[in-house]
Amino acid sequence: MKMKKLLALALAGTMALSMAACGSSSESASSDSAASTDSSAESTEGGSGEKLVIWTLAKDLDAFGQYYQEKTGTEVETVVIEPADYPTKVQTAIMGGETEPDIIVGEPQMLQDMYDNGFFANLDELGAKDHEGEIVDYVWKVGQDADGIQRAISYQITPAGFYYRRDIAQEVFGTDDPTEIGKLFADYDTILDTAKTLKDAGYRIFASDSEVGYFSGDSAWVVDGKLNVNEARYDYMDLVVALYQNDLTAYANQWSTPWYQAMSGEVPILTAEIQNYEDDSVNVWDAESFAEATKDLEKTEVFAFGLPAWGVLTMRDNVGDTAGKWGVCSGPAYGFGGGTYIGISELSNRKELAWDFIQFVTLNEETADWWIEKSQGDTVSLIAALDKHKDDANEVYGGEQLYSFWLEQAKGIDYSKVTKYDQVINDAWGAAIGNIKTGTMSKEDALAGFYDTVESTYPDITVER
Amino acid sequence: MGFKIKKSILYIALIILGLTCLLPFMLMVVNATRSGAEISQSFTFIPGHNLQENWNRLFEYFNLFAGIRNSVIVAVPATLLGVYFPAMTAYGLAMYKFKGNNVIFGAILAFMMIPGQLSLIGFYQLCSTLHLVNSYIPLVIPAIAATGTVFFLRQYIIASVPTSLVEAARIDGANELYTFHRIIIPLVSPAMATMGIMGFIGNWNNYLLPMIILTKTDKFTLPVMMATLRAATDLASNQGATYLAVAISVIPILLVFCFFSRYIISSISAGAVKG
Repeated sequence: MKMKKLLALALAGTMALSMAACGSSSESASSDSAASTDSSAESTEGGSGEKLVIWTLAKDLDAFGQYYQEKTGTEVETVVIEPADYPTKVQTAIMGGETEPDIIVGEPQMLQDMYDNGFFANLDELGAKDHEGEIVDYVWKVGQDADGIQRAISYQITPAGFYYRRDIAQEVFGTDDPTEIGKLFADYDTILDTAKTLKDAGYRIFASDSEVGYFSGDSAWVVDGKLNVNEARYDYMDLVVALYQNDLTAYANQWSTPWYQAMSGEVPILTAEIQNYEDDSVNVWDAESFAEATKDLEKTEVFAFGLPAWGVLTMRDNVGDTAGKWGVCSGPAYGFGGGTYIGISELSNRKELAWDFIQFVTLNEETADWWIEKSQGDTVSLIAALDKHKDDANEVYGGEQLYSFWLEQAKGIDYSKVTKYDQVINDAWGAAIGNIKTGTMSKEDALAGFYDTVESTYPDITVER
Repeated sequence: MGFKIKKSILYIALIILGLTCLLPFMLMVVNATRSGAEISQSFTFIPGHNLQENWNRLFEYFNLFAGIRNSVIVAVPATLLGVYFPAMTAYGLAMYKFKGNNVIFGAILAFMMIPGQLSLIGFYQLCSTLHLVNSYIPLVIPAIAATGTVFFLRQYIIASVPTSLVEAARIDGANELYTFHRIIIPLVSPAMATMGIMGFIGNWNNYLLPMIILTKTDKFTLPVMMATLRAATDLASNQGATYLAVAISVIPILLVFCFFSRYIISSISAGAVKG
């Protein structure tokens, strides 16, 4: 009997609750939509109660939004969305005809698809043409679609460089000058020689064999609809295989514990088996058991890391006692990695305001100064700001003037070599190299597998084997 | 003596099993008190000292309690509706003989096979046309059409509710709704509680649909909110905060489990036809 009463009560509660819940949510939904129509009406009039809606995948933009609100009084609503789901979210909203968000963003590998689908508004119509040349050239180009129309702009540059240990350079090569050390990384053969010299001196050139990855794109993967595997690609493959098979790295995996530890000093030289997890006696993800299991292994110090400009922050947080002993130099080719590009949604009703925001974030020198301070050393894309800070010395990197260095590197980036196929083809090429270096496949088999992958993923690309 | 040995072996086995189930939870709670660097470097069951920092970092990103409130507003009605109406449907399909019964059941089975993600853009456009974007209605109301639950409950009713019971109620003058509420629901409540727990966990953890439908930060449900922790430039240091968020978000699920599991146990022996 009790049971029945209880159930009846629960059911009555169910109905009441669900009705209340539905009622309140529909109410707030309608008031919300009312509010948004209000604000869009206001924004067309250009009143002071304007509002801007930003959908972003990088938390950075939240800070920019708040700063904009502080400076202009415009209400900025920033919605941060998980990066992996960001394209899905934007796609459904824009295909569903939503006029909000006003500002949408993308990372370089997503941008081509977003341009092709017409998600970004034409910034040239809003006056982007007037600012050509104020932003580092490659960033400007990444923000253009296939027809050369400006669709997005980034506030950062992300050119890649080698971060190297000055003290080791001084000892082995007799100099720590970035230009001189840069010559040791000038091409793939030289890197191999440098690696051998360092090994003879008791050091290792890299912690992992992936460090040259950012510099491997010296030619476009696809030219006129044809897969283009030029000589430099094979040279890169040979370099990685040689680094691996001749014991020239510390066999750490990028982003694993020993890889980070190598930034702050001595690390044990692992074996190829440990790196591949064939030998699981060493747990590379656990610092304590790692120290215990590797105490009998030979120790070494690592000379260099290859990372984009944001590596400045990663290294700074992990170098520990070696702070001040690092330097940054150029690599065998120009490369870049990552970056957040900001554009306006094609369906936005507040394009003028949104364009003002983009100008504020990317083209305003004062904002750039603020961001350099706020992010503690992010590299901005505004040339005027880079010029202004070109004499700033970074003490972690032995007082090197990093902003002028990155600007030089960024100038060398040729964006025409970047295609929308890069991500998949790079992954397939990396997998082929992995199979060759560990000996699981012959070179012919691995290359055949690579061609198969490209052919099946992109049937429209002609593959000549 | 032999009995005691057997029993102790059994208990030891069960304790080991229990620990195996609990350890990941322990790890989650412990990790919630450690810094991101500690988490990525080693593995331990000794709590760290970063609870306060993780907490502050978490609340820098969002208000976790607002997320819990939003999730409750979505998950509780969705779960209750998603149990009550399927039970009604299942009862109808199992007990009433009418033309097309099998066709309807076949259709329900067929709809079970279609993955919901397929219709995502279409569903969004529907919601957009009905002005339901950024409201909880598209997350709650469709839960009524829980085809899996209908299927499960129908089989359960056929197997465990004798037709004679319904006939007896009818002879005594109960109307159909009364029969359903007073006779059938108590009998089916173990199955309903089981589906309720599963439904609640499903609704609580539902990520894709809220991620698409909700567009204002203050309306985000917990999983959508927590995913935004990954949007930071400094991923490693957010790990402790992520563990903390997950640890807190599991609490409501545990509460619901405790509540519903009482029904599962207490109702197994309740009610039947005698002789």
